[in-house]
Amino acid sequence: MLSPWFALNDPMWKDFDRLRGELERLFDMGVPVGNIRGVARGTFPAVNVGETGDDVIIYVFAPGMDPGKIELTIEKNLLTVTADRDTEQELGSSPKPQRYHRRERFSGNFRRVINLPEGVDPNKVDAKYINGILVVTVGKRAEEKARKIEVAVG
Amino acid sequence: MTEPRQGEIAARKEDTHPEARRQGREPLVPLVDIYENDEGIILLADMPGVSKDGLDIHVDKNTLTIRGAIAGIVPKDVKPLYAEFDGRGYQRVFTLGPDVDVNNIRAVMSGGVLKLVLPKTEAVKPRRIEVKAA
Repeated sequence: MLSPWFALNDPMWKDFDRLRGELERLFDMGVPVGNIRGVARGTFPAVNVGETGDDVIIYVFAPGMDPGKIELTIEKNLLTVTADRDTEQELGSSPKPQRYHRRERFSGNFRRVINLPEGVDPNKVDAKYINGILVVTVGKRAEEKARKIEVAVG
Repeated sequence: MTEPRQGEIAARKEDTHPEARRQGREPLVPLVDIYENDEGIILLADMPGVSKDGLDIHVDKNTLTIRGAIAGIVPKDVKPLYAEFDGRGYQRVFTLGPDVDVNNIRAVMSGGVLKLVLPKTEAVKPRRIEVKAA
């Protein structure tokens, strides 16, 4: 009587199944659904998007940049951020070190395309670079703004 | 510069709570570049969101601890729609060798990047030995 190799309810394989599940959760591959413009975890730079009643605010975590060299474009509701990062340049003007022990930081060209929610006005964009975070504020179209409704006492 | 004991212990502590880390309760580990030349060691750490005031660097015996607080970026009334980054702060620990001159460590914080210069003590800098003809 031969049992099949991959009987996952066999106690011998239980741990492998658990490990596979943990790895899937870790790499987000368990759910085969994703935005077509989505990126793998750990992509540089990380992006957060938030909103207030009046604006949509995008935070791009890109330290060590020269803000003048970041290319920011907006078309309808697509925001594109692209730039070149050269981490060796951040060493400064002192003589170049002879060797390195670690190089974990991202260096090179990056490009992020961010889907903004419907209702943003591409003519109302403001961008600031604060402590290594690019903060882009996009105003919502007038009719999209949250409206406070007065409750009258009748 | 190696980070044998303390660095390994710090890494092990971080990994015991992966869920907490994912939810932003534990500090993030900042990515670093570490270079070395005869003069000393240069460490560059990516810590976006940290200003000079939010930085805490200290050396205790031969342990270098780098901490950075992220503050003042997001106003209270912002509702999150999409988040890849959920950190509140950064922390990383390194062990230093005896050749580092800990009294002369210099730190510069700019654009979310920390640059630490750790000079070597004079005694250990390589010295050219002149060979004279006999």
